[in-house]
Amino acid sequence: MCGISGVASFHPIHDRLYEGVHQLEYRGYDSCGVAFVENRHIEVRKDVGTVDEVDSRANLRNLEAHVGIAHTRWATHGKVTRENAHPHVSCDGAFAVVHNGIIANYRALRERLQQAGHRFRSETDTETIAHLVEDHFRRTGNVEAAWVATLRELEGSYALAMISVHDSDRIYCARQESPLIIGVGTDANYVGSDFNAFIEYTKNAVILDDGEYGIVSKDSYAIKRVRDGEVVEKPVMVIPWDSELSRKGGYPHFMLKEIHEQPQAARAALAIENSAILALVQAMAEARRIYLIGVGTTYYVALYGQYLFAELADVDVLPVSSDEFRYLDKSDPNTVVLAISQSGETYDTLMSLRHAKERGAKTAAIVNVVGSSIARLVDHVLLQGSGPEVCVVSTKAALAQMVLLTRLAIELGVVRGKLSRGSQEAACDALHRLPGEIETLLNERSGLIRAAAYRHAHMHNWLFLGRGIYYPIALESALKMKEVTYLHVEGMPGGFLKHGTLSLVDENLYTLVFVPPRESGELYTLTVSCVEEVRARGGFVIGFAFDPAPGLFDEIILFPPAHAITAPLLPLVGAQLLAYFTATALKRNVDKPRSLAKSVTVA
Amino acid sequence: MKALVLTGGAGRTLVPFSATRPKAMTVVAGGSLLRRTLQHLREAGITDIAIVVGQHGHVVENTFGDGSSLGLNLTYVRQEGAQGIADAILRARSKFTPAEYFVLVYGDVVTSSNPFLQLLQSFNTFKSPIAGVCLPGPPTGRYGNVYLSGTRITKIIEKPQTPGLGNYVLSGFFVLPTELFSWVEEAGRDMERVFDRLTTTVGVHASIWEEGWIDVEYPWDVLAANRLVMDTWEEARISREAKLDNNVTIVGPVRVEAGSTIRAGAVLAGPCYIGRDCYVGNNVLVRSYSSLGPGSIVGYGVELKNCVVFGRARIGRLSFIGDSVVGEEVDIGSGTMTVNETLDRQPIALNIRGSKVDSGLKKLGSFIGDRAKIGAGNTLAAGTIVEADAVIEHHTTVPRAE
Repeated sequence: MCGISGVASFHPIHDRLYEGVHQLEYRGYDSCGVAFVENRHIEVRKDVGTVDEVDSRANLRNLEAHVGIAHTRWATHGKVTRENAHPHVSCDGAFAVVHNGIIANYRALRERLQQAGHRFRSETDTETIAHLVEDHFRRTGNVEAAWVATLRELEGSYALAMISVHDSDRIYCARQESPLIIGVGTDANYVGSDFNAFIEYTKNAVILDDGEYGIVSKDSYAIKRVRDGEVVEKPVMVIPWDSELSRKGGYPHFMLKEIHEQPQAARAALAIENSAILALVQAMAEARRIYLIGVGTTYYVALYGQYLFAELADVDVLPVSSDEFRYLDKSDPNTVVLAISQSGETYDTLMSLRHAKERGAKTAAIVNVVGSSIARLVDHVLLQGSGPEVCVVSTKAALAQMVLLTRLAIELGVVRGKLSRGSQEAACDALHRLPGEIETLLNERSGLIRAAAYRHAHMHNWLFLGRGIYYPIALESALKMKEVTYLHVEGMPGGFLKHGTLSLVDENLYTLVFVPPRESGELYTLTVSCVEEVRARGGFVIGFAFDPAPGLFDEIILFPPAHAITAPLLPLVGAQLLAYFTATALKRNVDKPRSLAKSVTVA
Repeated sequence: MKALVLTGGAGRTLVPFSATRPKAMTVVAGGSLLRRTLQHLREAGITDIAIVVGQHGHVVENTFGDGSSLGLNLTYVRQEGAQGIADAILRARSKFTPAEYFVLVYGDVVTSSNPFLQLLQSFNTFKSPIAGVCLPGPPTGRYGNVYLSGTRITKIIEKPQTPGLGNYVLSGFFVLPTELFSWVEEAGRDMERVFDRLTTTVGVHASIWEEGWIDVEYPWDVLAANRLVMDTWEEARISREAKLDNNVTIVGPVRVEAGSTIRAGAVLAGPCYIGRDCYVGNNVLVRSYSSLGPGSIVGYGVELKNCVVFGRARIGRLSFIGDSVVGEEVDIGSGTMTVNETLDRQPIALNIRGSKVDSGLKKLGSFIGDRAKIGAGNTLAAGTIVEADAVIEHHTTVPRAE
């Protein structure tokens, strides 16, 4: 949840630590801080607030030191206070530590250290680590030995970086279930919890694995195993992203930028080699049980996949939310678990995959971030290639995942003899028209959706309804809306209305209905009957529809015609725009909604 | 970087004010549109500015002079008659040196905050021509439909045939190279062809504006623009050199400038604006979204509500001015009522230069031109337009022009 950045450089750091945590702010941002060695003591500057706020109070830039670490925090243990902000230092001030993750056994360690005379300043699990290193250093007199002894005592998940006055040229780092990357530059080396921490300065990176620690100095780095101290040789990978892309360009917010990048994201998903798709389809065709797992948006993507596989391939798949997977997992060697994760670091999904793998299941994943933990863990990986997604609220990554699931379902349908060559070709043609259709939608409907959003931004309660494959679309759209507008929005299948929800309908609740094209027959008729049920009770209904229907809705946004297989994705884009414009009308923090973080790497 | 600001458009639909001043000299929230634009440019570090002025251009020149009072270096280019944008651009050619980029501004839009900061940021990202784009509230046909692919603009339809589809439109802010002057010439002064060249061969990126933006086209747009600006005010600012009696009530973001006097019993409900050297009499009620320009005198017991008074007006006692725009040096006799709704409470349509235009507003008062004189005890029907320099005798009821 939090972000780590570190620099060891030939030249003064100046604002590179500041820039590093600034780029990581999307991971969480209730407080932040830096630590660096100056005149043989460690100086810590930290406080509550965004990186810019803390900088204006404590000055995180113009640093003359050559080695430093930084952190942006999103609280899990302890309140949001200056004391609880990272970095944390040991009693003697000789060690400073930043940490992502959760130390499971910190209470026991803390008690032991307190009995030994250590005084704690914060409520965090992280501070324990600083004291523990100091404790081990007293005995060993060697920073690396103390570091390793400390790591061996820690249980739980962590990405760590530490500096010490006793070895002031180096950064010590380590990883266990929480991502950590070393950036290899020409005049400096870096550590970061992801590429964004240093992508401005270098695109060469080495990824630490669980149970490894690193020692980073300005001109070298070493990676060793905690278990036996053996040096591990690792390849340097080149990050394919252009740092230019990580910026906003001509857009006011990353969310709008990423909504507008969806034609490109869909094209990238369509450009993935069919062989990669077929390899996974083969495994799925052979499996007796298929789980689709994800959490939050990606769970709704999985749900969308369930309808696709049923419709196109006549295959039952079980969508399960990753955080609940362990209670339901019946994996065996005849099971395929297909995970969906933008970051590839989602804690719950990663743990679910490990759980299934232990039980012998085959694993696969659709991920966006190259070299992420999930990408490296699974047997089959589909890299969606959507480019960096910075806004906390996922848009283009989710759409690309849905496109990839559609490709998988089509191919599985062919393998299973459910789809004829003709329908396969028609479906593929429809998919290839999707990027252009989204572009038309963005160009010709944005103004109408913005006007509707501004007109209705005062409404605090919303119901988003859909039937069939439009049901997961309604759920995902509702999630977008609540994440970014802070309004109460419930996604629901249309059929639920009579079974309780209708009692909510009054003048304080608006309803958005996702209406399929008229040629979908019964699905269309049943959806229209939902609209009538709500309006009969005086509810205000906005229709996202493909066909004009005079008098049916209070308001209608008409979408350009599309093939049944891609049609649901157009109102999804429409709902993203509605969420975005409602949020700007309400002056919300669009790219970093309160209390949310981009990549959830804790339980 | 230098800037070129176009204010030569005739703005014929902005009755009755277009008869006496360029549209850019319309006042909202205590300052003219052009003053806001110039201040925003200065904040963005642009001080060398050429302004194209057309009809009534002397109003601009007399107000801003050489620009030194604003910390700017202003020069003027005169454009006779309504010759259009291409002509305005070409006339300013000599003000720019070849091989540089400059900012081009259409001078008749109002934004809620400074649009040039984002525009220049986009330029720094792409290092190529930039066109500001936005989604207007109600569809406007005047600024061209823009088609995007990512931020790249693929097509600009200058005069769209089917307005209201929901496209982005040009917001009236550009960063362009000085080659523009030859492009305009080579295109035979046809802006449509200039845009074609920009999108197809040169390459132009969009800078998307998501904050408030209003194209001031009709007189009631002045009220919307006034509201847009005042909605960004967060705190009250009362000058130390204003004189407030005891028992003056101030609520919300109220601004009172130096030299003004507010008499006892007055209530100022923000957001509202009282310019320099105004006199606000006893028991005056200034309700939200009222802007009273400098040097105005407001008599006992007057009520102002959602209105813009340009300045140096005199509003006699016990009058009501609501949902109205009052030009400069207007003299309103006591007990004058601007009726602001019809009995059937339907949206009010106005006769604008011979054609009926629906304002879409159920509450709309009067639009009173510069230097008009209105006698005491008059009742102006909803949607009345009083031409500049008009004189209305005492006790006349003015029906709405149909």
